[in-house]
Amino acid sequence: MITCLADMFFPDVGVAMVTLLRRHGVSVDFPEGQTCCGMPLFNSGYREDARELAARTVALFAQSEHVVVPSGSCAWMLKTEYPDLLAGDPALRGEAERLAARTWELSQFLVQVLGVTDVDSPFAGRVTYHDSCHLLRGLGESRAPRTLLSRMKGVELVELPGADECCGFGGSFSVRLPEVSAAILEKKLDNVERTGADCLVACDGGCLMQMSGGLSRRQSRVRALHLAQVLAGDQS
Amino acid sequence: MATRAQFLARIKAEVAKSSGAFPASSAARPARPLEAAIAIRRQMAERWPEALDRFRAEFEKVAGVFHRVSTSAEVPGAVIAIARDKSAREVVAWDPASLGLDLGPPLAASGLPVRAAAPDDTSETARRRHRDEAARADVGVTGVDVALAETGTLILLSGAGRPRSTSLLPATHVAVFDRRHLVESLEQVGVLLEAVHADPRATSGAMINFITGPSRTADIELTLTRGVHGPKEVHAIFVDEPLGSEDWS
Amino acid sequence: MSEPAVETPFSDRASAALRDRFLQEALGIATTKFIGLRRESFDGFPQGDALRDQARSIKEATLERLDEHLTRLADNVEAAGGHVHWADTAQEAREIILRLCRDKGVRMAVKSKSMATEEIELNEALERAGVTPVETDLGEYIIQLAHEKPSHIIAPAIHKTKAQVAELISQVAQAPLAADAEVLTAAARVQLREKFLQADMGITGANFAVAETGTVVLVTNEGNGRMVTSLPRIHVAVMGIDKVIPSMTDLAVFLAILARSATGQKLSVYTTFVRGPRRSTELEGPDELHLILMDNGRSGQIAGPLREALYCLRCGACLNVCPVYRQIGGHAYGHTYPGPIGILLTAMLNGTESVKELAHASSLCGACKDVCPVRIDIPRMLIELRQHIGEEKVAPRTERVVFRVFRRLAMSPAAFALSARIGRLLQRPFARAGRLRRLPLFLGRWTDARDLPPVAARTFRERWKDLR
Repeated sequence: MITCLADMFFPDVGVAMVTLLRRHGVSVDFPEGQTCCGMPLFNSGYREDARELAARTVALFAQSEHVVVPSGSCAWMLKTEYPDLLAGDPALRGEAERLAARTWELSQFLVQVLGVTDVDSPFAGRVTYHDSCHLLRGLGESRAPRTLLSRMKGVELVELPGADECCGFGGSFSVRLPEVSAAILEKKLDNVERTGADCLVACDGGCLMQMSGGLSRRQSRVRALHLAQVLAGDQS
Repeated sequence: MATRAQFLARIKAEVAKSSGAFPASSAARPARPLEAAIAIRRQMAERWPEALDRFRAEFEKVAGVFHRVSTSAEVPGAVIAIARDKSAREVVAWDPASLGLDLGPPLAASGLPVRAAAPDDTSETARRRHRDEAARADVGVTGVDVALAETGTLILLSGAGRPRSTSLLPATHVAVFDRRHLVESLEQVGVLLEAVHADPRATSGAMINFITGPSRTADIELTLTRGVHGPKEVHAIFVDEPLGSEDWS
Repeated sequence: MSEPAVETPFSDRASAALRDRFLQEALGIATTKFIGLRRESFDGFPQGDALRDQARSIKEATLERLDEHLTRLADNVEAAGGHVHWADTAQEAREIILRLCRDKGVRMAVKSKSMATEEIELNEALERAGVTPVETDLGEYIIQLAHEKPSHIIAPAIHKTKAQVAELISQVAQAPLAADAEVLTAAARVQLREKFLQADMGITGANFAVAETGTVVLVTNEGNGRMVTSLPRIHVAVMGIDKVIPSMTDLAVFLAILARSATGQKLSVYTTFVRGPRRSTELEGPDELHLILMDNGRSGQIAGPLREALYCLRCGACLNVCPVYRQIGGHAYGHTYPGPIGILLTAMLNGTESVKELAHASSLCGACKDVCPVRIDIPRMLIELRQHIGEEKVAPRTERVVFRVFRRLAMSPAAFALSARIGRLLQRPFARAGRLRRLPLFLGRWTDARDLPPVAARTFRERWKDLR
């Protein structure tokens, strides 16, 4: 699952993920009917609409052995919320539970399913990592991305102060309360720049959209990249 | 205006509608709290030295001042030293039976009047006089019912001869205790609280206070200050030899 | 910063808070400090997680038999010589207290910190009835002098500078006092000591009420909780029905985690157990104890979607970690209870419509749920509130249209792919050096503060054919 944000705005992330998986011997398919996991609708309370998308998504990935997602939020949506959303229909709910068990955020897939911790990549530089809220708290994952980053030969991983603090994206929150979202972002980016890192890494398209948008607005020399891009050696 | 019956009926109706979506169980209470309390006391008869060390460490962490003397006879001297240090002129104290010793004569000999709370006179005049004394006093001396090591907390029951204000109004509170008062954990305190309330004779007052260090606040720009309303300093005098005071259970 | 009118839209109040430089600094320092204290406290406390699970379980069990526990509580309070009153609404609670003041000739009442009394706006009612309420918690005293409302559940005057506090307390002292915390605290001690000794009535809330024994429990640090429950001749405790717990053993579980969650202390300085008025053998204590059990919208949620919010211990931990609260502070929320739990409590007390803006004052980051000592799933309930707001057609029309369109696109891959091509066309006038810097309409809300990446020249699905 590529995610709607990566498909539209960060296709390099999707390409990097495919490259990375293939390099580790995984055969990759992209069910072309996919669009969005429905989280934006769900978070704004449009539960019925989210339910329809969930039903659709569950059917779409019915044949996939593993569903790998370069996004903590989307993975969380599938794993945690889909079964509840589809609870009204026992058959669908069963499908959703089976899908949840086969769905993985990318870093978790690499470390837990493939057993990979050392990725060979030409990427070099000083990086700092931001914990996306849904990956950290929803899926309980903070170690896998750091393990993967710190074990890269050319990478120096510097811990980000307040790494576990929200970047201020929150989906529609960023346009409903834009000033508050921007104030939260500013605090985050001040912390990022203080680390002296060249590159800010995250595992979520929403966070990256928010943080890269802020970094470029303040003409920072820090680049924001997705973990997949760093691991695949994408220097773009 | 709501009546009790209507109020409770509405709640009962709502409760009946809801189902438990989450695990629900209250804590397991001791089946025989009085016996459980005695068992804790027996345990502490062995473990009191470790508990005392822990108590001291925690008490000092919350800015308590710890003293240790060998015998009850040395307590008045320790109190006088504290009082002198604070330039105190008046002292109030629990009555000697509750304290386990009589501070009156030794302190009077040093020029420090002690007003001990009289246990049997609760007339309006006595109450008013007592309040004035407590409000004027610089030092208040109390006993202790439980000294909780885990948090450095002193637990005091109110009652006849053991007024609430002695540990509240004066700027310096001095608490005197011995090994029999020590317990280790908050969990044990839970058992003791069950026991106290299971025994109608155990309390003569309506209030229990847990005291963990001196009164404090950080309400002004998060700057920590002490002695907002309650005492600015809390002293604990541990006496090696058991005091003559009443045992809890 | 003066009390903002609740009629202004929430986003305006939030923006005003963002522009308040001192508030921003104070909030940053205070919340960061509380976060650190709490974290340190739980790091050294391995039993903490299990106790939190247990605490939640106790709250849930209590709700399952709430009427029984309240019955037992009331019976035991009365057996200990106290009076129990039953208030369906805030108004009834106020009326009970005013009647007591009239009947007992109360002219001045000292108050210990109580969110329940804030909730019912008691002070204003007392003043109108000619009774002088005096807040005695230092933070509450300060804001009372300033004619403001608290901005944080446990640190009500977080938004005030030392200089502002000095001015307020100096006025009472009728002498200029230095802007020094020690000096000001000492002055407040003297000013309030007089009030404690003269007051006719002491008013408190209740952190807990133990049904098994009829005990009201107060958790404080300053000593004012002890003063107001021992010196005046009448003690009134106002308590939401959600505060009752079954036994002393249950209480020990909560005491183990409450202060840690609020301020990182193992226990607060004073935990005070009040079981009825003073005994005849006591020299001190109130002659009368009145416990007011208040519903004010709570029972409506026992079987409702906000049921979990009834577990709340009012510790403030969720405020301290909330990225939104940390930026805008408590006043911007415009209601008695701010922060994440405040949104839920406001909905509980005032109805869903009252939070149609506030329900979206969250990025759903989940930090609140992470730190809640009783594991309240605040984000889930915020989403449910948003759902009700949407269903009740309270949300603005444009928003519903935007989401409807989004849904349509997401249900059809062809439409989705087409929207990318349309997006690429529409964005051309706005793209500068590979970024979108200024966009019209609601998208301008994004670009006011940050760039937007453009729709990619080739989306992933367009590139897939080269990759497969």
